[in-house]
Amino acid sequence: MVILYGLGSILIAFMVGILFAGISRKVKARIHWRYGPPLYQPLIDIVKLFHQESVSHGFIFDFGIFFSLTGAIVTLFFIPIGYIVPLHESGGLLVVLYLMLIAPFGIALSSVEAANPNASIGISRKFILALGYEIPFLIILLSVMTYYGTISFVEIVEIQRESTWGIISMPITGIAFLLILPAMMGLKPFDLIGAPQEISSGPEVEYGGIYLAMSKIQHIFLIFINIALFVSLFLGGGAEPLTFFLKMLPVFFIILIMSTIYPRFRIEQAFRFCVRWPTILAFLGLLLVVWR
Amino acid sequence: MDREQVIKALKDSGKWGHKYSLWAVYFCTGCGIIEIPPTITSRWDAERFGVIPVASPRQANLFLITGYVSVKTLRAIIRTYEQMGEPKYTVGFGSCPINGGMYWDSYNTIKKLDKYIPIDGWIAGCMPRPEAIFVAVTHLWTLIDKGMATAYKKYRKQYKYYRKNQEMALGKLEWPPLYPINEDE
Amino acid sequence: MKMNKKNLIQQLELTFADNEVNTFEENVIKIYAKKEQVKTILRYLKDNGYNHLALISCVDWIKNKEFRLIYILTSYNANNETYKETGDIYLKAKISRDNPEIESVISVFENAEPYEREIHELFGVKFSGHPRLIPLFLERDYEVPPFRKNFDTRKYVKDVFESIPVIPEEEE
Repeated sequence: MVILYGLGSILIAFMVGILFAGISRKVKARIHWRYGPPLYQPLIDIVKLFHQESVSHGFIFDFGIFFSLTGAIVTLFFIPIGYIVPLHESGGLLVVLYLMLIAPFGIALSSVEAANPNASIGISRKFILALGYEIPFLIILLSVMTYYGTISFVEIVEIQRESTWGIISMPITGIAFLLILPAMMGLKPFDLIGAPQEISSGPEVEYGGIYLAMSKIQHIFLIFINIALFVSLFLGGGAEPLTFFLKMLPVFFIILIMSTIYPRFRIEQAFRFCVRWPTILAFLGLLLVVWR
Repeated sequence: MDREQVIKALKDSGKWGHKYSLWAVYFCTGCGIIEIPPTITSRWDAERFGVIPVASPRQANLFLITGYVSVKTLRAIIRTYEQMGEPKYTVGFGSCPINGGMYWDSYNTIKKLDKYIPIDGWIAGCMPRPEAIFVAVTHLWTLIDKGMATAYKKYRKQYKYYRKNQEMALGKLEWPPLYPINEDE
Repeated sequence: MKMNKKNLIQQLELTFADNEVNTFEENVIKIYAKKEQVKTILRYLKDNGYNHLALISCVDWIKNKEFRLIYILTSYNANNETYKETGDIYLKAKISRDNPEIESVISVFENAEPYEREIHELFGVKFSGHPRLIPLFLERDYEVPPFRKNFDTRKYVKDVFESIPVIPEEEE
């Protein structure tokens, strides 16, 4: 049962992720007043990258990117997609909290072995940004756990189904989470990690065929995981995968339109933003939850 | 996509991938690079062909050599070309890589680029318009379909002659040979 | 005494007695100098407000068997009274063609370094006192420096670039 649900989870995340990546390229092109690539273009890119040769820099280079992809997949097993929850009895929120840091750690390992200064700059920016968004993220998770009194995802979704959605009972915390979602996913205005114009694609500068394919799949999974987290905690989850997917769409479109309009932050501006308003709002939400 | 295209894509997915997703290295070689930003922005959109510029040669499989090649630029071009992963396609852009172009009697430019790195196709013009780039990309698709875009294989087979020509033009090269050269025959 | 154009020309003629100072009708002043006095004239002009060395250029007079180096001076300060009247100053120095060497002016104007490197690699003029006289643009060695008028460029192209063979097709 676990294996079946696990494979189903990976398949759904992959397909929805490719669809979201294709939709984002097409919508971005239409906002720029041009036609865009077809909707299945990320699939063509990944198929091409699997048939391309690449150069390896050593064992830790291969291991790092593989470790990061596995970390993303394992995090996926703990998040409920409708009724598909492969590992729902163990952990829940706390496990997701520390599993989400495996992905950047894997990329850091391979960046160290790549020995390119652009990769080091990119990955140091990623860690400073992670320090920035982990502060409000921890406060948000603390308020969620205090309000519902449990750390299991399935129980949180059930409580929301009986009473109201999370975003109606904890509005300020929901807005704070929505403000740091682009930072967690690495979309504009926070995409300074892999910036092609400034630092030659950051950690991806030495990736060739199959490593780049794994890096792109890991990005797709991260987008799916973060939006799924928001939907599970604040928008009531879903009874079937279909309602879950329908609830993910508005969140995705809000973030997509914000990411095509705004330019890119510098690292100190991004860090200052993450520590100022989302932290204040999350702290206010925590105070409101504790006093109720 | 209709049924024949889907069947063709499933049968040989490598060719399908290489055709419709050509990633070009954003290396601004000479004066021809002025025609690339209009091609990739809104008016003549290159992203609908699958062509996007990438920042690193390890991620790319198309190399557009735009404009004239001086001796110093040839050194950088050879290093970039050897870092790309196979299969890779090169297109000479403008009339200067073909036979010297406007600088045919200059003391510091390379006249025929075909003697130093292998080239799949040429685009004539000074500078070619963005529509000419699209014609070249669709022609490259036809070549990849028929299996005739094999310039990188020629580099591997005849690497001895290419290396000798490069040393004649540039003097001593700082990088070791890419493929092993055995000094027989 | 107020420095205007007439005063400047008088001062130059008095101080450096054996140089010609011409004024041209289009708002430039040309000074023809000997090569040993170039540095002192430049220092004098720099102290009088012309503190921008815009360009050093070189012309090959092959029939007279000489090179002429041209130094163009302007002023950063646009409100300089003298500069508004006189315009740019061109300083010309003659060097012999068979053994061209002159002293470098880096101690007066530090930004003369790339110009002197370029003239060294393209014309073959030696600048004594220059810290780094290595080529700027060119990569190969040339017997005759390329910008001299007796450099046959078509013969050079035929000898060097067209003698490189075309890659043979594979034998299969």
